[in-house]
Amino acid sequence: MYSPKDIIDLLAANVRRTRNPFGVPKRLMNRWWKGLELPARADTLLYTGLMYQAAPYIEQTTSMLERFEDSKWAPYIGYARWMPNYLAGLGLYLMADGKEKTRAAGTLKNIVRILQSSGIRFGYRPELDFYSGILLYDLGDLDGFLEHARFVADRLQQAGVRRLITVDPHTTYALKVLYHKYLGTRLEVKTYFELAQFPPAGGDRSDTTGPVVVHDPCFYGRYLELSEVPNRLLTGLGYHCVPVRNSGPFTSCCGGPAESISPKQSREIMQRRVEELQATGAPIVAMCPICMGNLRKSGAQVEDLSTFLARAA
Amino acid sequence: MATISTQFVEELEHYGVDTTMDCFNCGTCAAICPLIYEHFPRRMIRYAQLGARERILEQANDLWHCLHCGLCTLTCPRQADPGELILGLRRLVVAEWRRADHV
Repeated sequence: MYSPKDIIDLLAANVRRTRNPFGVPKRLMNRWWKGLELPARADTLLYTGLMYQAAPYIEQTTSMLERFEDSKWAPYIGYARWMPNYLAGLGLYLMADGKEKTRAAGTLKNIVRILQSSGIRFGYRPELDFYSGILLYDLGDLDGFLEHARFVADRLQQAGVRRLITVDPHTTYALKVLYHKYLGTRLEVKTYFELAQFPPAGGDRSDTTGPVVVHDPCFYGRYLELSEVPNRLLTGLGYHCVPVRNSGPFTSCCGGPAESISPKQSREIMQRRVEELQATGAPIVAMCPICMGNLRKSGAQVEDLSTFLARAA
Repeated sequence: MATISTQFVEELEHYGVDTTMDCFNCGTCAAICPLIYEHFPRRMIRYAQLGARERILEQANDLWHCLHCGLCTLTCPRQADPGELILGLRRLVVAEWRRADHV
């Protein structure tokens, strides 16, 4: 286990200086939208919270943390926050796996396709798309979270934004629940899959669909109680959602939230969850970049919900 | 030996926790917690109820084992919100660290 203080100080310093926990410059991190020509003027904005874009950096960082946990080098993590941000961020950007960056961009492009084929009118403004600060909240740095959340909420308010479409559970919870609770914001927040609509599946589609097992993230399953929606969509498209031992409000954690402070503990929890999911024998559907990255560490076949939905879009 | 703070429950209210004394220590939270780790979070909640502030600060790192998954809160028979209590204890500890950094 790493010193929680060192990890929190490092992440909080990164968020303060660069507005994301990894210190990677946003212009390098958030490029998936280029070439899509999404309108900037719209009543409703797509808001990614940079979570899918962060997945390659999370993977890179946690694999390094896992290597040095409990070693003689572990106590030196605290010195990382003294490294110039542009250097650390650029280094992380260069080290992160290019395939993972392409995969993350592909997920967001799939989500755009799903929304467009569902007839949803929306825009995207990369200059307003910020990390939500949720990790600081989860780690107990309420002051750090609030400082960052105010920065984000002020920019959204100044731009007159009222309605947001989110793509991951952590950002959804932060904007929908925490920003309202602590800052009094009145944003209307919906996930992309709540807005997705597909014509009923006709005929036999068993050659393109089949059994799947859905891993509900804690934030969708318990905190936001949204598990029914992805299940209904998948079933409507002809997939057979195989029941798993723990799901919906009683879903099992993937272990992801512990990956920055104790990667070993995170892996133990993840392995238990993967065993539950693999007992069904079906491919795994995830809908959170943290869950996805963590479950994939086991070598299990895991795809994002948007991949399945985009096939019908 | 541990010193007891009689104002600890009130102090925790500043960190968003107002259910400390609702817990009757049944242990459901420790049984459902995916950590299966030394009576976590039950023991920490007991320390909070007793006002064992110093003991909590000594064992502060244990608080970051919590995944904030919410299973304990969902199953608590007293709606004592153990998950939020652990989060409140983290906030208290972070505030202590920040104070110490500024001394």
